[in-house]
Amino acid sequence: MSYQVKRTITNILTGLIVLTAYCFYAFGRYQSGILAPDDLKSWAQIMLIFIGIGIVAAIVIQIVFHILLSIGIAIKENIKNGSCDDQEIEKTIKLEMIEDEMDKLIELKSLRVGFVVAGIGFVASLIVLLLNYPAMVMLNLLFISFSLGSILEGFTQLYYYKRGI
Amino acid sequence: MGIKIEITNNIRKLRFFAAEMTQQQLAEKAGVSRQTIIAIEGGKYSPSLDLAFRIAHAFGVQIGEVFSYLVKEEQSG
Repeated sequence: MSYQVKRTITNILTGLIVLTAYCFYAFGRYQSGILAPDDLKSWAQIMLIFIGIGIVAAIVIQIVFHILLSIGIAIKENIKNGSCDDQEIEKTIKLEMIEDEMDKLIELKSLRVGFVVAGIGFVASLIVLLLNYPAMVMLNLLFISFSLGSILEGFTQLYYYKRGI
Repeated sequence: MGIKIEITNNIRKLRFFAAEMTQQQLAEKAGVSRQTIIAIEGGKYSPSLDLAFRIAHAFGVQIGEVFSYLVKEEQSG
């Protein structure tokens, strides 16, 4: 499994964890009656908090991932060569993390999928408003479609890495 | 009737004749990841002209010796 695939899986997992946590927290509060459907300020507050959590989680998970990757490479090099040469390990890490034209093309193509999902979510949220649903439904549709778009972007990347482009 | 162009490559053969050069070594010489070399070798990715030249340069051959294309005519309807 290449570095790009591992990084994409990590991103997907982070996105899934944050989205699941948001759904449990926000809809849990909604079902228990703490959060009213017309209390848009509270909904916006929760969403902003979870956007912040998402960013912090992504950074922390990426740092942990890179540390684990470096340890993994060092162990592999140690087993292969019987010694742990820092320069050799650094070189291997650099080679693993190289981003070339295929990665950029895959990123661009999958970004389009993310935009399409987010766009569909935006249109759906407008339709929901027209159908006289509460504004919180529209807000949640927007939030979830953007999050899903980002997760699907990751899955598309995995698909292109597997099938080719 | 449509025309379909299929790009094929001789990377595996050229690696063999270059003292069984590994995919990693070729990737280093061409300045791309091993994953990209695997994809090109397997016909899953058609490289840019720039990368195609770099691969040919890594083997010290002309680009035509690495990549070739087949024109296929497709019957439609």
